[in-house]
Amino acid sequence: MNQFVIAPLLVALCTAILTLLTRRFGRVQRALSVLGGLGYVAAVAWLVTAVYPSGGPAVYHLGDWVAPYGIVLVADSLSAFMLAISAVVTLPALVYATRHVSAFGQKVSFHPLFHLMVVGVTGSFLTGDIFNLFVWFEVMLLSSYVLVVFYSGPEQTTATLRYVVLNLVGSAVMLLAIGGLYATTGTLNMADMAHRLANAQQYGVHVAPVLGLTALLFAVFMVKAGAVPFHWWVPDAYAAAPAPVSAVLAGVVKKVGVYAVIRLYFTVFAAAPLTDLAVPGDTVLGFFGIVLLASAVLSMLFGGIAAVGQHDLDRLLAYSSIGQVGFIFAALAAAALRPELAAVGIAAALVYSLTHALAKSLLFLLSGVVEDAAGTRRLDDLGGLARQSPVVAGAFLLGGLGLVGIPPLVGFFGKFLVFDALAQTDVVVGLAAALVGAILTVAYVSNAWNRGFWGEQSAAVAGWDADSVQVACVVALALGVVAAGVGFNPILEFARAGADAALDRTAYITSVLEQGGGHA
Amino acid sequence: MTETTLAVVLGALFAFGTYLVLRRDVVRVVWGVTIISQAANAYLITMGDIAGSVPVLSHHGPPFSGTTDPLVQALVLTAIVIGFGTTAFALALTYRVYEEHGTIDLEEL
Repeated sequence: MNQFVIAPLLVALCTAILTLLTRRFGRVQRALSVLGGLGYVAAVAWLVTAVYPSGGPAVYHLGDWVAPYGIVLVADSLSAFMLAISAVVTLPALVYATRHVSAFGQKVSFHPLFHLMVVGVTGSFLTGDIFNLFVWFEVMLLSSYVLVVFYSGPEQTTATLRYVVLNLVGSAVMLLAIGGLYATTGTLNMADMAHRLANAQQYGVHVAPVLGLTALLFAVFMVKAGAVPFHWWVPDAYAAAPAPVSAVLAGVVKKVGVYAVIRLYFTVFAAAPLTDLAVPGDTVLGFFGIVLLASAVLSMLFGGIAAVGQHDLDRLLAYSSIGQVGFIFAALAAAALRPELAAVGIAAALVYSLTHALAKSLLFLLSGVVEDAAGTRRLDDLGGLARQSPVVAGAFLLGGLGLVGIPPLVGFFGKFLVFDALAQTDVVVGLAAALVGAILTVAYVSNAWNRGFWGEQSAAVAGWDADSVQVACVVALALGVVAAGVGFNPILEFARAGADAALDRTAYITSVLEQGGGHA
Repeated sequence: MTETTLAVVLGALFAFGTYLVLRRDVVRVVWGVTIISQAANAYLITMGDIAGSVPVLSHHGPPFSGTTDPLVQALVLTAIVIGFGTTAFALALTYRVYEEHGTIDLEEL
């Protein structure tokens, strides 16, 4: 048994329960919550060292029932990379939250919900079963609904209503797709499904319906990732949620959609032969490559243009994250359109995911600091922050330049790899849109900088009163952006291993099914 | 025959649910979402073959004719529980929306 696979899940779940039980004792609850966050980081570190670089996927059979009948958790380099992103973002957000969220809010429900959201995210990254992916999504979403409506003012209730209705419809669509896939392939286990799709004739599987069903699933994942045309819930929800929650929503929850696309479309569905169907792109993957590219181009342009005109720092960041997910999808589109270069594209998407997670959660936390210390996050009411608080301004500069992609920050490598993947695959439209998207990034980051951090000191900024713990969390993430860029080589190796794991279908299938006799 | 009836009923449920989701009244929207998710559950049951098929764990031996796939029932049970939770939350949220805005008309929010 590979206990390390289930460790992060158990740590987060136990922390959620313990923080719920101790909610009458504020200090104890906060201490347990932060300890749980540290434990989560440790558990993820254990998983990463056990899975990477030793290679092959590690499988945990729940209740010792073997695949494909039992439920399995699978950890490979791809899951490990995504979990590492999650761990790096959740701990600072958690420490930050102990100072940012009101004492009453923490006491009532913040900590259990936050950890349950982490449970959902972790489960989504680890599950080897497509129905359990749905269940983990629901765990993650239910907690995030409550966290978005946390302050429960007029703005929050409206934003949550949109978010909830969209996601409930999304869940129903996901169920339809899963039911259809089960009826078509006769299995829910991802490895078994990949195996059956690859040997469609032997198992009597009709491959044609799979394309339509996977298209339904695809729409659901795009909702989770907040990509155009399913982006419209993003700005309201991110602006309404407490800062540490926005940081995790943008840094990690968004990446669950990205992960699901990589895992299912490159590992599982790509196995299906689609040669006799007249679809654009000739294969399942090629078809989704075109869809991904269209979504990526629109996301980069729309997110960038909308972000330039924002007056509220949180909204600017939210629109920016629509644009940034476009870059991730562009790299994936390149990978899908040119299967022989898929590893390059997926590695680029993974590095960009890490880049965005670090920089964007830093900026969301920083926006929270500004709101707490100056009483507003409207850019028109800010000004002269650079002189008032050089540390916060410096952190913003690092985060902003991280998004823009200035060496030696990690953002540079993310951008470089995406451009490289697009250039190698000759996706000219994607390349042009990415170029415009990059210029727009420069525009909105400098817009925020000029209006918020330079110029005359405003009345709000004059009353500046920042909490040192909050600032420390922001600075820690800013140092992370620099450190990940300076020591980039191991990260690149890790991302490449993740890309290889996503594409090595045989290893995935055999390690999940070898003990189950599932080939019979 | 059963298949056709079910297909028609499911189609009607989805259509009705979609109609409700597009209304201006928040309560109707929540009803619409609930109907859509229940329709998805009913659809999920049909995926186990209504006429009966070989069960997933096939070590009980023949005859198989009277059985349906137990897995889809487990799936639907899970989905129903999740659906209850989300519906309860959506209704509570509707109440909060009314408290905060004094209206449940989406045009006025």
